[in-house]
Amino acid sequence: MDDLLVVKDLTKNFGGLAAVSEVSFEVRRGEILGLIGPNGAGKTTLFNLISGLLASDRGSIKLEGEDLTKKPPYKRSAMGVGRTFQVVRPFDMTVLENVMVPTFAHYKTSKEAKEKAFEILKMVRMDKLADKMPANLTLAQRKRIEVARALATKPKLLLLDEVLAGLNPTEVAENLPLIRQVRDSGVTILFIEHLMDAMMAISERVLVMDQGVLIACGTPDEVTSDRCVITAYLGEEAPGC
Amino acid sequence: MRNNKLKTAAAIFLLGLLAVPLYFTSTFVLHMFTLVFFYIALTAAWNIPAFGGKFSLGHAAFFGLGGYTAAILYVKLGISPFIGVVAGTFVAMLGGVILSFPLVRLKGPFFTLASIAFAEVLRMVAVDWRSLTNGSVGINIPFKPSWLNLTFTSGAPFYYMALGLALLVIGLAWWIRSSSLGYHLRAAAADEDAARALGINTAKAHFMGLMWSSGLTGMIAVFYVFYNYVLEPGTAFSMDLFSLQPAMNGIIGGMGTVWGPVIGAIIMTPLGEFLRFYLGTIQQGLNFVVYGLMLIAVVNFVPGGIVSLIEPWFKKKKSGDSSAADN
Amino acid sequence: MELIVQVCVSGLLLGGIYALISIGLNLIFGVVRIINFAHGEMVMVAMYLTFWLNYFFGMDPYVSTLIVLPVMFLFGVIIQRIIVQPIQNSSANMKIFATVALSLILQNVALIVCKGNFRTVQVSYGMGTMEWGGIFISIPRLVAFFAALLSISLLYYFLKNTYTGKALRAIVEDHTIARLMGVKVQKLYLLAFGIGCAFSALGGVLLMPFSSVYPTVGIPFTLIAFIVVVLGGLGSMGGTFLAGLFIGVVEAVGGTYVSPALKEAIYFGIFIIAILIRPQGIFGKGKGSEEVGLK
Repeated sequence: MDDLLVVKDLTKNFGGLAAVSEVSFEVRRGEILGLIGPNGAGKTTLFNLISGLLASDRGSIKLEGEDLTKKPPYKRSAMGVGRTFQVVRPFDMTVLENVMVPTFAHYKTSKEAKEKAFEILKMVRMDKLADKMPANLTLAQRKRIEVARALATKPKLLLLDEVLAGLNPTEVAENLPLIRQVRDSGVTILFIEHLMDAMMAISERVLVMDQGVLIACGTPDEVTSDRCVITAYLGEEAPGC
Repeated sequence: MRNNKLKTAAAIFLLGLLAVPLYFTSTFVLHMFTLVFFYIALTAAWNIPAFGGKFSLGHAAFFGLGGYTAAILYVKLGISPFIGVVAGTFVAMLGGVILSFPLVRLKGPFFTLASIAFAEVLRMVAVDWRSLTNGSVGINIPFKPSWLNLTFTSGAPFYYMALGLALLVIGLAWWIRSSSLGYHLRAAAADEDAARALGINTAKAHFMGLMWSSGLTGMIAVFYVFYNYVLEPGTAFSMDLFSLQPAMNGIIGGMGTVWGPVIGAIIMTPLGEFLRFYLGTIQQGLNFVVYGLMLIAVVNFVPGGIVSLIEPWFKKKKSGDSSAADN
Repeated sequence: MELIVQVCVSGLLLGGIYALISIGLNLIFGVVRIINFAHGEMVMVAMYLTFWLNYFFGMDPYVSTLIVLPVMFLFGVIIQRIIVQPIQNSSANMKIFATVALSLILQNVALIVCKGNFRTVQVSYGMGTMEWGGIFISIPRLVAFFAALLSISLLYYFLKNTYTGKALRAIVEDHTIARLMGVKVQKLYLLAFGIGCAFSALGGVLLMPFSSVYPTVGIPFTLIAFIVVVLGGLGSMGGTFLAGLFIGVVEAVGGTYVSPALKEAIYFGIFIIAILIRPQGIFGKGKGSEEVGLK
């Protein structure tokens, strides 16, 4: 199997509390890999470690065999790690300009950057809103800007942090195919999601975290029947977990 | 069509500015125009790091470095100020390199503090290093009128140079803001982490912004110093004149925009001179009280600066025009 | 050898006052989360009050604390209410602008009211010294040092052992949680600003017997206080105290052995180097330093 990302023994402590503890897994090229877990399980911290916004205490992260554990975030992005944020963080500029920011990494003139950014906006069906300010858009639309911006970095691996959370069912139904569409364009996806149905519908494999530890990994069916996972979600004691 | 109208208006305006020395022979009026242009240039240069949300209160450091470099070269070694401009720009940029360490490492307020400390240290060094700077006595530029000496018998040449500098810096600021550096700085100002995750080397962007800003400030300083014939540590590294004033112009006009500094300098420079000459003679210090109150008013009521009041009106007109064209 | 001891002693004594002023800043900084660029002006205003009380009523500077401190406490509360509170949720830059504006106003009102002259208070003990093992110690500086030590200890006790003090510390730790726990944040902001202001004022009063006051006297104090807080660590009383002493000694040693004109340049240099090497402070950092821009 062709592994795009290999994470080994990744650990991060916050003042004695292990937010991520010896987590190891791999992301296969071309898959949609889900990451679930209760609140405070360390999912976003894991994303911050992979994208480089946080420095890990121990362990390694390799993309296509190249070690990026010590690299700054902008280099990881150039190597192919893109991400979105759980709390949408559009810059205070128009939708098009938001997407132009990362396109400058690949196109030098603002004319080319603008054209490319517009193409990406078309892909996420936001081209009609290109001149609007993000503050005036709905949450679902702002989440699409996040995705568009991350795509503009031309990622090999895209980390999506709850791009469906907070949306109403119609909006979820609209945004869900987008994730598949992005994968079909050749981008591998690792995504965090709280909406179980959505998660199970589109991911091929699922990772489960609880209290900083990776407790399960497998197909959606395997994971949902895993006793440890049920325990983590229902909070009951289960021996052997 | 609108674009053509705008271009024509701009051209007429510019021609008018070129003709100012022909109509106003009063030295006071000409001096006022020259001063406004110098401050437009200084404020626009100060404003470049502000694209990235970094707010300096120490630009007098770059001003002093540039001015002293050219003056020392000219007075002590007889080197033409035209070479001095290049040297002054370069030395000011070296100052920028030093200040870039705190710029990159520290967020907002702490960078501002470091910038104040930096300018203060340089001022003290300028006072103390008498063999080079003549200490607090300062350096007088001898009056030897000649193009090569950047010394003139009339105010007109400096008027044109100041106008040229103002146009140059506005043009550069506009170009930077619409280039990748500008986008990167604006992204960093809005959200440093998100920008970094999107592949932007924000440290490099801030550094480049400061390089432009410090170099331009040093360059403008050389012209300003030769315009005034004299420099001493108290004015060249003056907190009031070259750290606070550009910052205040920028904030009141609209920090981090292209036109904010221009508007700010146009309003604040004559106002400052008026307050200094009329209120200042009645009561020294009153002008700064007025500045302080204006600043508090801006912070509370128009945090985007004056430009934020004008912009929506301008934008509405523009979009109104385009929708008319669509129909 | 004797000279260096002499220099260090007078530096340490001065450092006590720096610590006092800086602890005022640290409290405001930690609780209200504002970078008060007008902090030195609080010292300046207190110094002028002391001067006037002496000039008009012949009041001894030490006695005038009874009036100056309550007045300055109130002054701090008013500033928090009128200047800071309205912009509490604005960006960090807006807060800088507002306090820079405040410092401009205070400096220049002082210039208008008091002119630019250097003013001093003449007291019999102003130049008084005592000798101890060959070292001369200035009496007003010694008084200042012990008064600083005492008031810092009192503040420490207050923060550790009273309900209000604990609430203040909770805010320094975490704003949101403190609010959720039902701590009345706005009132405590007013209190913190008042106390911080009174502490700086005490520093100003204690300086008066052996130094002079003029409108821009506060500028270096703002910078010194920030250097001390950065070195000492946000929210750390002990760290701030030690850092204050350290800066006092650095100033005295630098002023004696390098050049009096460059003594300030030396600690600004230390400040810049320190924040580069260890931006979280030499004695550790408090939570929330991230929030106010200290990485």
